[in-house]
Amino acid sequence: MVDGLQLDGAAGAPRGGTMTAARDGRGGGGPLLEVTDLHVRFRQRGRQVFAVNGLTYKIAASSTLAIIGESGSGKTVASRAIMGLLPVTAEVTGSVRYAGRELVGAKERDLRRLRTNDIAMVFQNPERSLNPTMRIGPQIAEAIRLHMDLGRKAAHERTVDLLRRVRLPSPERRYFEYPHQLSGGMRQRVMIALALSCQPKVLIADEATTALDVTTQAQIMDLLLELQAELGMALILISHDMGLAASYTEEVIVMYAGRAVEHAATKELFSNVRMPYTRALLDAIPRVDAPSHTVLPMIEGRPPDLSIRLPGCSFAPRCPDVQDDCRQAIPTLTELEDGHEFACFHPCGGGNG
Amino acid sequence: MAVLPSDPIAAGQLGALIPPPMARRRRASWVRSLDVYIPGGFLLLLVLACFVWPVVYPVPQPVGGSILDASLGIGAPGHLLGTDTVGNDILARLLYGGRVSFEVAAATQVVGGVVGTMIGIVSTYLGGIAEAVVMRLLDVLLAIPAFILALTLLEGLGQGELNIIWALSIFFIPAFARLARAATLSLKEQTFVVAAHLTGTKRWRSIMRHIVPNVAPGLLTFALLNAGVAIIIEATLSFFGYGIPPPGPSWGNMIADGQQVMSTQPRLILVPSILLLVTVIALNTLGDGLRARWGVQ
Amino acid sequence: MAEATMTTTPSAVAGREGSDVLLDVRNVTQEFVLRNHGGVKGGILRAVSDVSFQMRHGETLGVVGETGSGKSTLARSVLQAPPPKAGEVIFRGKDLTKLHRKELLAMRQHVQMVFQDPPASLDPKWKVTQIVEEPLLAFGYGDRAKRRARVAELLELVGLDPRLHGGRKARELSGGQCQRVAIARAIALHPELIVCDEAVSSLDVLVQAQVLNLFERLRAELGLSYLFIAHDLALVKQVSDRVLVLYLGKLCELGPADDMFKAPAHPYTLALLASVPSPDPNAGRPETNRVISGELPSPLNPPSGCRFRTRCPRAEERCAAEEPQLRFVGPGHQVACHFPLVETPVAAPTTNGTGRL
Repeated sequence: MVDGLQLDGAAGAPRGGTMTAARDGRGGGGPLLEVTDLHVRFRQRGRQVFAVNGLTYKIAASSTLAIIGESGSGKTVASRAIMGLLPVTAEVTGSVRYAGRELVGAKERDLRRLRTNDIAMVFQNPERSLNPTMRIGPQIAEAIRLHMDLGRKAAHERTVDLLRRVRLPSPERRYFEYPHQLSGGMRQRVMIALALSCQPKVLIADEATTALDVTTQAQIMDLLLELQAELGMALILISHDMGLAASYTEEVIVMYAGRAVEHAATKELFSNVRMPYTRALLDAIPRVDAPSHTVLPMIEGRPPDLSIRLPGCSFAPRCPDVQDDCRQAIPTLTELEDGHEFACFHPCGGGNG
Repeated sequence: MAVLPSDPIAAGQLGALIPPPMARRRRASWVRSLDVYIPGGFLLLLVLACFVWPVVYPVPQPVGGSILDASLGIGAPGHLLGTDTVGNDILARLLYGGRVSFEVAAATQVVGGVVGTMIGIVSTYLGGIAEAVVMRLLDVLLAIPAFILALTLLEGLGQGELNIIWALSIFFIPAFARLARAATLSLKEQTFVVAAHLTGTKRWRSIMRHIVPNVAPGLLTFALLNAGVAIIIEATLSFFGYGIPPPGPSWGNMIADGQQVMSTQPRLILVPSILLLVTVIALNTLGDGLRARWGVQ
Repeated sequence: MAEATMTTTPSAVAGREGSDVLLDVRNVTQEFVLRNHGGVKGGILRAVSDVSFQMRHGETLGVVGETGSGKSTLARSVLQAPPPKAGEVIFRGKDLTKLHRKELLAMRQHVQMVFQDPPASLDPKWKVTQIVEEPLLAFGYGDRAKRRARVAELLELVGLDPRLHGGRKARELSGGQCQRVAIARAIALHPELIVCDEAVSSLDVLVQAQVLNLFERLRAELGLSYLFIAHDLALVKQVSDRVLVLYLGKLCELGPADDMFKAPAHPYTLALLASVPSPDPNAGRPETNRVISGELPSPLNPPSGCRFRTRCPRAEERCAAEEPQLRFVGPGHQVACHFPLVETPVAAPTTNGTGRL
């Protein structure tokens, strides 16, 4: 039934991004979270789906990283793999080190402790993450008491303090309200308070503002960044929104078909796009400042079927700049310019940002 | 541009892979289907036995046995399961009694199901006063205990299989109507039903082509569960003498007769009781299995 | 019955295209009665309140607003699903709110809708060809062979392969493909107006661009008009000639897309614009706190006067006391604000107040 691991089967070991020469996390100290050659494979009805294929990155304390990509790019799967939140049909290999401890293959009990104490996650749907039958305050207080040795009263005070910190209006009163009595933005604030209740070192925000209105999104993002700076957390922002990544983070990874295809400091990446996929994504976004009825430059086709491993670049079938060698070998993510990595044999010209 | 294989679990839908948090271990598909095949197969065999066996391989008549053959044991010549206290063949009575049970179960579910479902769907889909009136009427029907309702109706209609069917059908109508109503209420708000309406699809066509096919799986499994209930009620009515007039064969009658000699000849009550029990369990298991398979709540 | 010809209003202010009006929405108000558990009346939610606008043939009008702004309710009200509590919806010269069921059904072939969640808008039990054929059947279009041919033609028009995709069901298609099917169904009967309710919001950027370009192509080829509803300003800007901004069911601003996005007149429009994060590396962070504050008030109990005043940095006493009326701040550019960000041009036409045309 369970047959052996046969990673990197036919298509020749696709050693995804091998980030050479450690990009030393800024702010002193080594990297807090270090993901190396992460692979996630799902087995489904006798088929395999290669969801993440060799993802490598590091993040230091007090820094922000955006992982962007479309649905199916593997951005969410990769982050859930870090948290050990994938179903049993998923097979995770590679290495995820948090503060020197290896998380891949760690015991569920250790992972659970890690999830409550060190790495927290905020999801897209706050209503699914909150218990609808429990008042919001006690939910947070319970989480606090679970890992801190605090009395009932102290936990209550700390909760109210947290709610105030995420700028929930009149926190003393809201403490006793149920999730459905709050607006979407307020529920997301409660989720952030819940995530922060255990003073995590890493906060993963998985499309945390996607379901919110733009004005609320901006408020929540401001809040997240402020808390991130104040508490010295590492923030990983997972999103499909290029604008969000450009506006709120220091470093960006673009993923396509389970691989990182471009990785650079945010300013560098957006002003000097080299990977044709990133270019296509950027071009496809409607602009507020463009005149109406502008024809959007777009590429045809769909993301590849992840159960099939192409011998070449997975973007090749849709790439406007495709050449023969793209279909024969997989380009690896390499630092070809100072601090700017991309996985492409024929990058688009720099400087057209 | 290359045509990419468009597969549902390809890139676009990978999110679907993430939770369910408790992904069960996959087994071969036939093993997972046993919860449907075993009860389904049993019921099929039983139905064939009841309706086909007496035709192709004659068994003794279920009534009019000779007193000389009374109380024969299992394996008596010509009487596979023996005879009862008045000399009727037990196997024959079981098979003919099974016919009654299955006929009642099927007929009440078809009549109650179709009428109830259509009342539920149409009144809910159209809304307005019709909906309010119909639903209050059904509430009244639901409030009367099933057994009392059936007894009262049979009191008026008199004994007989057909009358049992009518009485039970009326009893099942409100249950189906409520369920169909609940399903219709949520379907009515579904985008594809609204889309059909805004496309210009007429109401009747929307009901028949959009609502009915989408509520059908849920109602079918519900009908299977109810069929078990119908069989039990029929047996109970017969037991109390309101159902099939004795000496007509019916599982309920057999249990009632067997009760008088329970201490001396327990098999007379055990055999029909066990068959009744197993049949109802099979119906319930089949209903549950199909429900799980079709993803019906 | 209503006359077949256009009925234009005598006091047509924007009446420069009076004879060219496709849709004339007048003072539409939509309310819902909220019920607590047990069916007790819990209050009245006025989702859309006194909204008026006109659309010309071939024009795309964008409707922007956030959660609770009533934009989807407005769209449904235009389509009479359900009909509005008050106001008129004059489409092709007929007031839809006064039509009988049969007449309304007949009218549906001229106005179609495309929904937000593409897979959900297709019956899970139906095949693509059946779905696209549905409106043709509903309006008795040709015989079987002719319908089949039309379905194939429509699928090709929206970029699907009739042989490859025709026999599939919704769950076997991607979101973008589902939306193409929905669009094929919508244009099957040559409608004049298509209401798009967040039609591309759930799609990935690249697919979204494909579908947006499809909308644009169909508009040009088939002369369609769109009422395009979305929460994403850039998206609305991309497709719209004019844009309407809603806040808590009230019309805030209505004007030509290019003018309005260059120089928004209503503080709320500015807040929306300022909150959109830009991928431009030099744009910096959105400065939302400068232009909007606080939470959306309860729509059950909206603020007095101007509904935006509780979050508006420009609000003064007058805003609480007096409800601002729509007024012109530029050619075809109206705003409902006491202190608009763009000053009223000297020789602007004045309305009679409520925005009634």
